[in-house]
Amino acid sequence: MRLSPLSISVFLGCLIACISTCALVWFLFDSSWPYWRSFGLSQIFSSQWYPYESLYGLLPAIVGSIWAMFIAMGFAVPCALAAAIVSSEMLPCSWQNGLRLSMEILAGIPSVVYGLIGLWVLLPWLQNTFHLLTGHSLLAAGLILSLMILPTIMLMAQDALRLVPREQREAAKHLGLDWNQRLYRILLPQAWPGIRSGILLALGRVLGETMAVMLVVGSLDRLPQPIYNILAPAQTLTSRIGREMGEAAFGSMHFSALMACGLLLAVTAIFLSLFTQRNTPQT
Amino acid sequence: MKIFLICLALPAFLLPAACLLYILWQAWPALSLELITGTVDAIEGQGLSFGSQQALWHQISGSLLMMLLACSLATPIALSIALFHALWASKRQKKMVLSLLQVLQSIPPIVYGLCGLVLLVHLLQWGISLAAGAVILSVIILPLLSSNIIHALERVPFEQSQAALSLGLSHMEMIVRVWLPSAWSGILTGILLAMARALSETAPILFTATVFSGIAWPESLFSPVTSLQTHIFYLAQEGSNAQATQTAWASAAVLLSLVLCLSLTAWFLRRYEESL
Amino acid sequence: MFKSLSHIYLFIFSILLWHNAAFASERIAVVGSTTVLPIISQAASQYHKLHPDIIITVSGGGSGVGIAAIIQGTAQLGMASRETTKEEKTKLNGRINNITIAADAVAVAVSKAVYESGMHQLSLQNIADIYRGNIRNWQTLGGENKPILVIDKEASRGTRHVFAKAVLGSSHARADGASIISGSNNEEQSIISQSNQAIGMLSNAWLNDKVRGIDVLIDGKAISPSIKHVRDGSYPIARALHVLLPKTASPATQDFVKFLLSKQGQLIVKNVGYLPVQ
Repeated sequence: MRLSPLSISVFLGCLIACISTCALVWFLFDSSWPYWRSFGLSQIFSSQWYPYESLYGLLPAIVGSIWAMFIAMGFAVPCALAAAIVSSEMLPCSWQNGLRLSMEILAGIPSVVYGLIGLWVLLPWLQNTFHLLTGHSLLAAGLILSLMILPTIMLMAQDALRLVPREQREAAKHLGLDWNQRLYRILLPQAWPGIRSGILLALGRVLGETMAVMLVVGSLDRLPQPIYNILAPAQTLTSRIGREMGEAAFGSMHFSALMACGLLLAVTAIFLSLFTQRNTPQT
Repeated sequence: MKIFLICLALPAFLLPAACLLYILWQAWPALSLELITGTVDAIEGQGLSFGSQQALWHQISGSLLMMLLACSLATPIALSIALFHALWASKRQKKMVLSLLQVLQSIPPIVYGLCGLVLLVHLLQWGISLAAGAVILSVIILPLLSSNIIHALERVPFEQSQAALSLGLSHMEMIVRVWLPSAWSGILTGILLAMARALSETAPILFTATVFSGIAWPESLFSPVTSLQTHIFYLAQEGSNAQATQTAWASAAVLLSLVLCLSLTAWFLRRYEESL
Repeated sequence: MFKSLSHIYLFIFSILLWHNAAFASERIAVVGSTTVLPIISQAASQYHKLHPDIIITVSGGGSGVGIAAIIQGTAQLGMASRETTKEEKTKLNGRINNITIAADAVAVAVSKAVYESGMHQLSLQNIADIYRGNIRNWQTLGGENKPILVIDKEASRGTRHVFAKAVLGSSHARADGASIISGSNNEEQSIISQSNQAIGMLSNAWLNDKVRGIDVLIDGKAISPSIKHVRDGSYPIARALHVLLPKTASPATQDFVKFLLSKQGQLIVKNVGYLPVQ
């Protein structure tokens, strides 16, 4: 590699990128270390979060995040998958392009706007339909999150279905398979790797979403009673960080606890991403 | 079976579009040039109804300023990574770079905000500042931008690069004369998408770059700003005040239209590139 | 190409720096309680008209955020609606002056429907029982048959400290009966007004038609959360609103605090709905 101005600039740029990545990792570990050192991993299973009494249990937030994830995926995956199948198999080509454009646009809507819709449209509706004390709940968070990831999953599923060659469909028709069998036996198995990576990508987004969840989940650090009660206010990891990030004094144990929440989120996201990459077909 | 699928698919088709229309419908009464340029001083306090009568101009300019700064910080670095990937990386290094970029893209933005809070606001003593917000946003959009530029450069036909090198052109000349003309639309698409992303991020800048009121125009890199996204968040907490909700919907509509402009331009660019 | 790009960056950077140097104005960052925020926000805009070269930025977040910002040095002036805790005092180490600029009452606020069903007063013990989860239905207190939506606040908020101290005994007391946690005064006001069975803690300036303050029963007498009762000290959940002024603050910051205590500043306090410092 010759030492030209180009190579020096490229080297400098890559160096800055590496330094910032390392700084990210370093500060995550360094700032949350006091928390891990004092409490170890036991706090992950404690359900008491009272910073003033030095209790920093992470369980309510973790359970809340997991529930929000399940609800979001449970609503979004079937609908988006069905929409992708309908769009790629039943709609004419021009409609498909228009639909694709609208989905790409919708995928870019800022999360705080979804938060507004959740707060002022979804919550009153939930409160009235289920006769709740308040609409703030894990169900609300899950529903808003599923709304956010619908376009993403639909786009990736549609791409995966489109990649299945036309000849496969025609061969299936000539072999006498009806529409349902063609879908189940030929199209879905072949498109499944692409669909799966779309679902995993959406899962990563659901895990990290802060603003919309913060506004609708209720921020109550208590385990759902009973554990499957998704109609009561609760807490998620991202909502907790968002709410308390400003008031934790820098360097205090409270701050370390919040950084530990961030570390948990980052580690989960990294594992999810590596798992997705391992299972994505190399196109 | 088909009927069942169509029923299942209807929410996916209708709900997102319904949301967009609902936002427009709610925002329509409040949308006017007056709202944006307005006569109400941005530094004006309004007592209990925080921010519900402010004009949006300062918030819009704060958001745009942070977005532009973030993109101008991220673009050279993204270009460097892409050029490294294209020119000097071995096959294994290429895979590692792409894998690393995917991993960084999946980390929640709030984590970037937390680390920015620790490093930039407290350790480096920049305080709550435009600079901190711009750096955090640029780190968030860097992986997205890099992978887009890498893919844009990969689409340049291999034979052209080979021909250029065999004709004796240096790397720099090849980039400028062969790659740039073919890949400029792809690179620009990547930049536009990164800008749209920078405009949508709210949580990382909430405690590191923005204040509620008092700033008309940041007088230095190290002063805080007001931004449209965080303004919507503050207004979201005033659900009982009818004017605040109106302003919130209007702000959401303005933010949406800014993001849509960028996304639509990117989409048209991609269509133009595909048609070539 | 890189040369011209770097020239462009340097140009933009120097413009921003030059702008800073040429219009060297002072910036005062004020952070903290959302109860004090309306006063400071209005005072800041009036003060800016008198001194155009001083920019005052205002942020909320709660009393805890304000005190933390002063401890860390990220703000020049803090707003608090409660006293500093022991830990905060140690960290502050005598570096600040706690200046009272107003007083207000923390009202026990209920939804309009609850108030109109006859719930006009409650004793401190009743309120404590509600927040501890011992009373769960308005019927137990003589109201309609509706479960109580108990709205608690984030633990570091000034309003919560004062309320918990007066009602539950200690400013950090747990409220096991809480149904939901809210943040700023605005958010709590929204939740109460959108429900018809809620109870919460709210500064008296935020009470309106949909959010009614009930009287507190002390020794058989019902005391309303009005300014009159704050002035004569009979309302049990009253507090002073302060600003935290570092002893090393700039002259402009000290002048702004003087403005807050002046006739003009105290008129703003009265207009917001609090009790001016006499």
